[in-house]
Order: sequence, then structure tokens, then C-alpha cells
Amino acid sequence: MAGKISNTPATYMPSPTSQNKKMSSIFTGSDWVRPDGRGPHQCRPSFLRTGAVNYASGSAYAEFGNTKVIVSVFGPRESKKAMMYSDMGRLNCNVSYTSFATPIRGQASESKDLSSMLHKALEGAIILESFPKTTVDVFALVLESGGSELPVIISCASLALADAGIMLYDMVASVSMSCLGKNLVIDPVSEEESYQDGGLMITCMPSRNEVTQMTVTGEWSTPKIHEAMQLCLDACSKLGKIMRSCLKEAVTLPQE
Amino acid sequence: MRGLQLSLNKNQKLRVERALEQLESLSLKSNSDASVTVADNISVDCEDAILKGHGTTELDGRVVATLCGVVERVNKLVYVRALRARYKPEIGDIIVGRVIEVAPKRWRLEINFSQDAVLMLSSMNLPDGIQRRRTAIDELNMRSIFEENDVICAEVRGFQHDGCLHLQARSQKYGKLEIGQLLTIPPYLVKKRKQHFHHLEQYGIDLILGCNGYVWVGEHVEVKDPMLVDQSNKSEQQNADSENSMSANEVETCTPLETRQNICRTANAIRVLSTLGFMITVEVITEIVNLSTSLNLDIHEMLGPEFYVLVAEKEAERRSSLRKKR
Repeated sequence: MAGKISNTPATYMPSPTSQNKKMSSIFTGSDWVRPDGRGPHQCRPSFLRTGAVNYASGSAYAEFGNTKVIVSVFGPRESKKAMMYSDMGRLNCNVSYTSFATPIRGQASESKDLSSMLHKALEGAIILESFPKTTVDVFALVLESGGSELPVIISCASLALADAGIMLYDMVASVSMSCLGKNLVIDPVSEEESYQDGGLMITCMPSRNEVTQMTVTGEWSTPKIHEAMQLCLDACSKLGKIMRSCLKEAVTLPQE
Repeated sequence: MRGLQLSLNKNQKLRVERALEQLESLSLKSNSDASVTVADNISVDCEDAILKGHGTTELDGRVVATLCGVVERVNKLVYVRALRARYKPEIGDIIVGRVIEVAPKRWRLEINFSQDAVLMLSSMNLPDGIQRRRTAIDELNMRSIFEENDVICAEVRGFQHDGCLHLQARSQKYGKLEIGQLLTIPPYLVKKRKQHFHHLEQYGIDLILGCNGYVWVGEHVEVKDPMLVDQSNKSEQQNADSENSMSANEVETCTPLETRQNICRTANAIRVLSTLGFMITVEVITEIVNLSTSLNLDIHEMLGPEFYVLVAEKEAERRSSLRKKR
């Protein structure tokens, strides 16, 4: 039997060199100039609106540069899945990309991951005991992905939840950072994300000063992580204020 | 962004904005500092004696809001009332709902609430009107009373421990609603009043304002009070029964065109009012319908931008005249 193995044709392997071409680090020691001309610690200007989807209980639309996301929230409502009685409500998240969201047409690879990450980010902020036996459904649709989609999805989802009147401990703001050689850039675009050595995403509740989710990928040194976390938390609190003012605006528009 | 997106031209936009501004200035309580968003501080005088109500939670000794809305204070109770609140059922509310499932000994209704409501077979009058125990045959014949997708009017009887609603439809005025339109409006536009059943005589239609935001506009149905039906009427009923079996076939031709047009007009009036976010009451609805007939507008024009603007202006007028009367 051992002899036969050598006769089987070798399975095709793509040549390893083609993958490494863009990984040769371009910036050891050099400064990274951001394609959209921002400073390294400057976030993209944001456009936030609630009430984007009429039919949903609550919804929000967020635009951070080229990343455009619509989140709609349904509920609390009955769900066929939740047959057992439970004291706590259930949260169900779903993230999907439109086919025209990425530069190359087709399903983006991370959308399955993103649903469970959105769930983990939001479940710490929602008061689940306020809607026992029912389910809140959060559906996020990425219309265009221009870098750091998950933080935008999370912030937009928390706006939509507040718009739907679901009880929250606090708004959830999320910001991500990229490490490119020795540069730390906040709120990366997709080009920067593809070149990054490491990525850090923090989701926190600004007024409570509590972090609901932190995701670290790639290589990081300890001082860099400290610096990155501090920058992210500052940016999150600023984003929290912007979200709050967006909600206040929606409230003061003529509505009896 | 919410609501019917109408393309208003410049002039119409100006008129609408002016009317809405006028309404805002007329509103009695303009305390914008009472509106809070999530995790805003709620100012309390002495924190020990405050009852923290719905929509609030405690954080580090402060009271913070968990909802976006307006802070209401009643004596020692502080709570946050959400602006676009979900329907909050109370015992005795009149509800309009749609049957989504026929289950053993009950019907499940969808009523624009977080859970489906339940109408037990025992809370429903049997077709023959006799008060008796429901047998297995009654259970098998449930479908002849209500089927899936039927629209039903009922009253909230109570809550179960898990928050599920129980309904009852034991009176003649409750039951299946047949010829008409069911409209969905935000539930906070319907205030709890003494009367939710309205009969508009001049149009010959019935109007049921369900507290859950489902409004029924339909052909008028004579409600026979069973207490008044006595022996002398029994023979009448027997004749009526034989007639009913014939008229069931001709029921499509029985509703006159004018009634149907009135139903559509009233429904459109309610749609425009709910898009503008005004409270839905019978007086306002009849005024709007009169407005549309006096202007000789076609029924479909009522959903157009011009009528939208006219309704906003009319409401501003009405409220300012009410204010002056006071």
C-alpha cells in the first residue's frame, strides 16, 4: 500500500511566491501617507441617520467615507426558533453584503464571521431581561465596503437599536486601528487594511467606560497595543457623542 | 426619512414647514430638556426617595436612561416614555388583529405587539349562541368560526405570567370583520378613549380604532344586541336565515359603490394623518374626509402631495382655533 502512494499524482498547489509579493513590507521605517489625506489619528467624517427603513421597528444608515451600511432592527417579536420559555430575550444578528459592495463582484469572505462578532459586541449592551420570551432581529446590509466594515456595522446597529426603543445600557461605539510597520493608523480604508501587519478593533460603551468586545489580529508589541487601545477608546467616546447628537436630532424633528 | 416619501415642490415644502412650525409652537409642553437619549443622566433631587421606573437604570449612584424618549415624573416615580413606543396593552383595550394560526382550543392573533395574542375558544361566543361547555366537536369546527388571515376585533382580557395576551370576544360587537380595509398606523397615534367603535352615519361605515395601531374601516354592520332579541323575534330570525343563505352568494353586489368609495376616502384620510404624525380621532377623520369631498378631490388624489400639505395646514388651523377657544 505504501508503494502506491507515490503513483498518485501530486495535488496542485499554487506557487507560494505569488502570495508573498504584496506582503514584502513596504514601510519598515517609512511613514505611511494615507490615500485620503487624513492624519494617522484622524477618523473619517461620519454621516448617521436613523429611520432609514420604514417597515422595521428601528433602523439606521451610516456612511464612514466609502463604507456604507444600513442596519434594520425588528422586534421584540415572536420567533419560531425560541420554543423554550426563557427569562432573557434573544438577540439574532445577520450581516450580509450586497453583490456590488466589493470592487470585485461576489460574496465577501468574512460575512459569516461578522454576524457572530456583531452578536458578541451587542449582547453586552442590550438589557435582555426587558423582553423575555421574544427575539430581537438585527439585519445589517453592507452597501459598499471601503474599509473597517465591522466597526461601522456595530455603531450603526446600536443606533438602530436605540431607534427601535430597545432598552440599552449605553450606546455602543466601535473603532478599529491598523498597524503598518511603525505607523498606527485609525479607521483604515480597505487599501490600508490589506497592507496591515496587525489590526485592533475595540467596541466600547463610552459613558460607562466599559469594553464589550476587543479583537486583535496580527503582530503587535506591548507598547503599541497600549497606545492603540488608548487612541481607540478616545475615538470611541467622540463617536459616542456624535451618535448621541444624531439621535437627539431625530427626536427634535417635527413629530407629535 | 420616515414615512411616506412624497415629492413636494418648493412651495409645498415651505407651506408644510410653516404649518408644522405653527403646530410645534402651539404644543403645550415644549420642554426639550426633558428629552433624553440612551445613557443620559436624569436629574433627580434626592436620589434615595426616587422610584426608578421603566426605561431607567442606576449607574454609580446616578439615574441614567436606557431608552431614547421623554422623561416623565409623577410624584416620586421617574420614568422614560419612548416616543415611538411599541404598543403597551392594558386590560380592556379594544384590539383588531389577524388570525395567523388555529391551534388546539385557541386562535393565535397577530396584533402588532412583541408577542402574538391568544383568543381561547372558551372566550368566544358559539354560533348557535347557547352557553355551554365546549366539546370536542366545537374544537373540530373552530375553522368555521375563524380561519387563518381573518380580521378579528376583540378585547384584552388579561395577561399570562410570561407576558402573552389573552383576548375575549364575548360580545356581539366583537368578532370577524368582513367588508372593509385594515390599516396599520403607529400605535401611539391612537389614544385610549371611552369609545373605539364609531359608526359614521353619513357615510354608512364603521370605524374601529384599535389601540394596537390597527384601524378597521368597513361597511356598517348592524349589531344585534342579544338581550333585545326575544321570542317575538325568533320567527323573524328564521326568515332572515333563509334569506342569508341566498344573500351570501350575492354579497359582492350588495355593498353599494358609494359606501365603498367612502371606505376608501376614510382609509386614505387615516393614511395621510398617520404619515403626518397627527393623533387619530373620529372628529379629525371626518373633517379631513369633508375637506376632500368639498374640494372634489378624487380618492387617489388624497394621497398626493397637495392634499398632504392641505391637511397639515388644516390641522394647524384647527389647533390654533382650539387654543383660542380656551
